[in-house]
Amino acid sequence: MPYDDLRSFLDTLDKEGQLLRVSEEVLPEPDLAAAANAAGRIGEGAPALWFDNVRGFTDARIALNVHGSWANHALALGLPKHTPVKEQVAEFARRWDAFPVPPERREDAPWRANTQEGDDVDLFSVLPLFRLNDGDGGFYLDKAAVVSRDPEDPGSFGKQNVGTYRLEVVGRDRLAIQPVPVHDVALHLRKAEERGEDLPIAITLGNDPVMAIVAGMPMGYDQSEYEMAGALRGAPAPIATAPLTGFDVPWGSEVVIEGVVEGRKRQIEGPFGEFTGHYSGGRRMPVIRVDRISYRTRPVFESLYLGMPWTECDYLVGPNTCVPLLKQLRAEFPEVQAVNAMYTHGLLAIISTRKRYGGFAKAVAMRAMTTPHGLGYITTVIVVDEDVDPFDLPQVMWAVSAKVNPSGDVLVMPNLPVVELAPAAQPAGITSKMIIDATTPVAPDVRGNFSTPAKDLPETRQWVTRIQNLMAARG
Amino acid sequence: MPVCPRCAFETVETLHSSPVPDVWDVLQCGRCLYTWRTTEPARRTRREAYPEQFRLTADDIEAAPEVPAVPPLRTPA
Repeated sequence: MPYDDLRSFLDTLDKEGQLLRVSEEVLPEPDLAAAANAAGRIGEGAPALWFDNVRGFTDARIALNVHGSWANHALALGLPKHTPVKEQVAEFARRWDAFPVPPERREDAPWRANTQEGDDVDLFSVLPLFRLNDGDGGFYLDKAAVVSRDPEDPGSFGKQNVGTYRLEVVGRDRLAIQPVPVHDVALHLRKAEERGEDLPIAITLGNDPVMAIVAGMPMGYDQSEYEMAGALRGAPAPIATAPLTGFDVPWGSEVVIEGVVEGRKRQIEGPFGEFTGHYSGGRRMPVIRVDRISYRTRPVFESLYLGMPWTECDYLVGPNTCVPLLKQLRAEFPEVQAVNAMYTHGLLAIISTRKRYGGFAKAVAMRAMTTPHGLGYITTVIVVDEDVDPFDLPQVMWAVSAKVNPSGDVLVMPNLPVVELAPAAQPAGITSKMIIDATTPVAPDVRGNFSTPAKDLPETRQWVTRIQNLMAARG
Repeated sequence: MPVCPRCAFETVETLHSSPVPDVWDVLQCGRCLYTWRTTEPARRTRREAYPEQFRLTADDIEAAPEVPAVPPLRTPA
């Protein structure tokens, strides 16, 4: 049963023991961010956090770490909470094949209940804003699904983009936005600015859990995130028309903020502790003027802590980074078995593949680096054999330790593109990239002494089940 | 009104005050836009305790690169 809004998902998390309500009074800073930071240090079963007793506020409802564990990620996809990571990614990949699923338009959106317009707009009066990390330049909206359209093709549903971008609150009706050049909103803004125009924008906060996953997913320019949400939900995504921009926005959002990115204007922004585990900032970025806020009665403010991984961000964008890469690679190389690109949004990827012939694994790695997401992210690729599980890091390390002869299996290519936020880049946006081929060489690549591998015994799989059953029966 | 903890600018505006009266204010620097709540720890609110690595000067702001760069205006054909 898919969730149409954040509230219904929070109810499920509550029933499953995956929502912790903190009822004692806390300080907005540093408590809210420190608690969400701590959730990431607790490990795989960490709960979402709910705060409604925050000093100085009379009416705050704050949800944090909603996707911040494998249990919560499984529940977001409607899977049992103990579903292993590899199975979550495999199920995600299966559902992807249903794309595109047209959305369902509903015009009775609950966020129509309340409105601020023009001079009355005050983000602080609707949202209990707070700081995440010490060096952040201000308070951020970092889990919004941001909607924009291609100014040269505004009627295209597919080119309408839904993405998550960092937004700094720089006034009661002002936000700074970071449109990373490799992302779709930057293409929209560029086209608007070349025409000397503002770019209309709708920012939706507090969405159903699949909407948050697709908004952070690297998809093709003309692929609709709503149609992908429908595929992942197994039911059409409910959408509604935003009143000011006319854009399609999630029906179930808690808050819908509309306005324009002011064309050809830049203003100091940041820093902000990013998904790379480092701050980025000290740059002049575009500014949004907010003209209208629509919101549900007693809105829930959903936010996400990010900093040194792992944090909620890594769970949120882990599987949704693996699956597009898997699909894009398999389209040309059906030998590819699985992709684990969960490290820093895919700055590192581990790929398991069968080998067509000698050198094939290295070619697969190069292709991964030239996929749309790989261009801006994948800096290191580890390729492993088809019988190595890329999600099982001890197995991956075995392959690297036993199969790699560095002189022939480690390739470093200089001066390739990467997101500017990548902290090791030099200069920003340029990096070398590395392939580590940890597969077994096949003819005509005859290097090494791999002719007698010690494989799992044929009876082992049966014994795994037998032992597990015996242990379960023992209680 | 205090000075900006980050850039020491002396013009600071109140962006918002706590719904419960007199608990905190959210302040903003008129130059570097640094925004803080008065109840935050000293390392975020007091100039003398503000970490060196995050401080900004007028020159830093002036020299900050544009991301993304403003593209040239396309002239009609």
